[in-house]
Amino acid sequence: MVSYILRRVLSTLPVMGIVALFVFSLLYIAPGDPAAVIAGDQASPADVERIRQSLGLDRPFLVQFGSWLWNIVHGDLGTSIFTNLPVAKMIAQRIEPTFSLMAITLVLTIFVAVPLGVVAAWKAGSWVDRTIMAFAVFAFSLPVFVVGYVLAYVFALQFEWLPVQGYTPLAAGLWPWLQNLILPALALGSVYIALIARITRASMLEVLQQDYVRTARAKGLGQQNILFVHALKNAAVPIVTVIGIGIALLIGGAVVTESVFAIPGLGRLTIDAILRRDYPVIQGIVLLFSFLYVLVNLMVDVVYTLVDPRIRY
Amino acid sequence: MDRRTVLKGLAGVSGLAVTGGLSMPALSQGAAARTLRFVPQANLANFDPIWGTQYVVRNAAAMVWDTLYGVDATLQPQRQMVESEEVSDDGLVWTFRLRPGLKFHDGEPVLSKDVVASLTRWSARDPMGLMLKAIQNELTAVDDRTFKWALKAPYPKMLLALGKNSTPCAFIMPERIAQTDPFKQIPDYVGSGPMKFAKGEWVPGAKAVFEKFADYAPRQEKASWLAGGKQMLVDRIEWVVIPDPATAAAALQNGEVDWWESPITDLVPSLKKNRNINVDIADPLGNIGSFRMNHLYPPFNDVKVRRAVLTALSQEDYMRALVGDDNALWKPLPGFFTPDTPLYTEEGGEILKGKRDLAMAKKLLAESSYSGQPVTCVVAQDQPITKAQGDVTADLLKQMGMNVDFVATDWGTVGSRRAQKTPPGQGGWGMFHTWHAGADCVNPAVYNAVRGTGDKAWFGWPTSANVEKEVAAWFEAKNLDEEKAAVKRLNKAALEDVVYAPTGFFLSYTAWRKNVSGIAKGPLPFFWDVSKTA
Repeated sequence: MVSYILRRVLSTLPVMGIVALFVFSLLYIAPGDPAAVIAGDQASPADVERIRQSLGLDRPFLVQFGSWLWNIVHGDLGTSIFTNLPVAKMIAQRIEPTFSLMAITLVLTIFVAVPLGVVAAWKAGSWVDRTIMAFAVFAFSLPVFVVGYVLAYVFALQFEWLPVQGYTPLAAGLWPWLQNLILPALALGSVYIALIARITRASMLEVLQQDYVRTARAKGLGQQNILFVHALKNAAVPIVTVIGIGIALLIGGAVVTESVFAIPGLGRLTIDAILRRDYPVIQGIVLLFSFLYVLVNLMVDVVYTLVDPRIRY
Repeated sequence: MDRRTVLKGLAGVSGLAVTGGLSMPALSQGAAARTLRFVPQANLANFDPIWGTQYVVRNAAAMVWDTLYGVDATLQPQRQMVESEEVSDDGLVWTFRLRPGLKFHDGEPVLSKDVVASLTRWSARDPMGLMLKAIQNELTAVDDRTFKWALKAPYPKMLLALGKNSTPCAFIMPERIAQTDPFKQIPDYVGSGPMKFAKGEWVPGAKAVFEKFADYAPRQEKASWLAGGKQMLVDRIEWVVIPDPATAAAALQNGEVDWWESPITDLVPSLKKNRNINVDIADPLGNIGSFRMNHLYPPFNDVKVRRAVLTALSQEDYMRALVGDDNALWKPLPGFFTPDTPLYTEEGGEILKGKRDLAMAKKLLAESSYSGQPVTCVVAQDQPITKAQGDVTADLLKQMGMNVDFVATDWGTVGSRRAQKTPPGQGGWGMFHTWHAGADCVNPAVYNAVRGTGDKAWFGWPTSANVEKEVAAWFEAKNLDEEKAAVKRLNKAALEDVVYAPTGFFLSYTAWRKNVSGIAKGPLPFFWDVSKTA
């Protein structure tokens, strides 16, 4: 398994290289000028031009790309055009809120969606199944920001149980940390719960038709045992796949959720950087997300081997 | 390594993470009592008030860096760091003396050499500073508390230049910081203002923190805008960046923040209903809406076309699109200067007054050189002010029979595209929308947008010899009456040449919780004299 993981890690390098070139090229041809944003509304065209020169944005494309790539290879993601802070530091400042939000959402999703899907499959065709699937359709259809606003209105403004916005680091304690993440995780997780519940139900329905399940029932095993020990384990591969693919969904959703709940995470950093054309920050974040996505896919492959010992590489 | 070993390892790691989280201490709640939590109009993305001229940077910088003079609520520059000044009889040599006891946040005294370095950096970026630099003989430190500015020609607006609140302000920094290239960002944020910047707590896009500077020596006079005694009544000010207006409103209602600088008009009614919240006009100097036409290319290189547009333009339509039905928030503006300020004038403003005459506009257009070519109207959709104005303009031009090429884009792209001097069909533009803070439209010195210097003018590059003649007259004016006379003529000339199209004057609100007091109305949020009870 170790050699397999090593091979997979090495294979990510060309992928990351292509992503880097793509990102750099895209930003180069995209309209917009950070110098104009920096200069402000009262600056003269000459001021804008001087700022552009001081940022090195007047250099040819290949020179800029070469210089950027050289720095990346040496572990330097560059410096933000606007904040004058190292991009690595800015990402480090923002990584905890985003990862916390994604982790809570993921845990919430798995603990809610998988049992819902299992129960729906077990009670297929009954009112329980229809209720769960109706909820799934509903949750799937609602935009994240709508769910976010409704949750904030009800649980923060009306009941005053939870804060509307912000983030408290985990170092400040478990409950303060959780307090700020419950509503955003519910908002972000709603679509994800719906998706996983539906996939779990479909996968379980297929497995529950298998002979070995009938045998287990004939042996007199309890329903819980059959569902969660025998059937779910064998239905897990497509579920794990969708959970892995869904990480990309979470990253996209985090951008919106962080804006709605004013969480200082990578999503908001991305939006701010794009609106200001802060190229080094955009490039750093896209590279990080690409790396994460590749890593998640690698982990999914590893998990396959854990949930199904027959899978070997 | 087998599957069971990996599973056991993962279980161990997750167990450690959980127990580690539980053992962390809780935050102290007592610190919140002397902390003011403020939601700024925008993100504090950089913190060099000379390099970056955004208002949000200026607003934060006013706490950290002090100025030699400060404009008060009557728009007059008053002494701030300066104790006294002398000007020679011929008006060519200014000698300033600093107040004793001024200190930077690092404990070092404020010396003349710091002032000289700061003014040198500032004068490379500021329009008034550039004028001073052009006529400068020398700027030198005479002794630790005295410095001298020798000029080749008199500059009667010296004190205004040093105390104005338009960006970039002449903030005083330590020499070692002020020696930074004005086109590069400063590496450190040490000032001599009433608050210190907590650099370690700064998360651009999320939070900026300012702590009370114990050694600050305020003046004895009562504070008025940037002038007078800047008494800090809270120990800590936290800027909480909340980009979503609905979330900011909810946070204010929930007591998670204390003061929201710029609530959007749509949410003001719900804030007004909350008994714990005060809502009031933020800045009596307000804003001036505008769209600029490209004077270099057809159709707007023909003044008849520009006049035709003004003839049909209804400022009420623009202002309703911006502020809705709240009549307290807008007024018509048949001119370019901020209402209720000394130089306000409506001279030559007839073209913007009275019933709008679409038929006359069409007639003027027919008499012009316009031949049906598309008008490239570039409109930023991510700024509510530009979006609303752009929609009204597109409708106006269509009603006039013009062919509109409506380019919906974002503010970042507008910032780039408006600098293009190529023809509209080749990456350039025909018109774009923006707005100006009223504080920047009180006199010609701080008002780039009204200038008619052609290639050197602001985007749109209008050329107007008559406007420039009156700008010079204003600079040379000996008293307020002469200034008023010059600005009247300037206003008339700018409307005749249609330097740009003013779409009206509008105000905005600010909102704060009732346990906060001392908030002054003005062009920026002033934190001195603001107090908070538990």
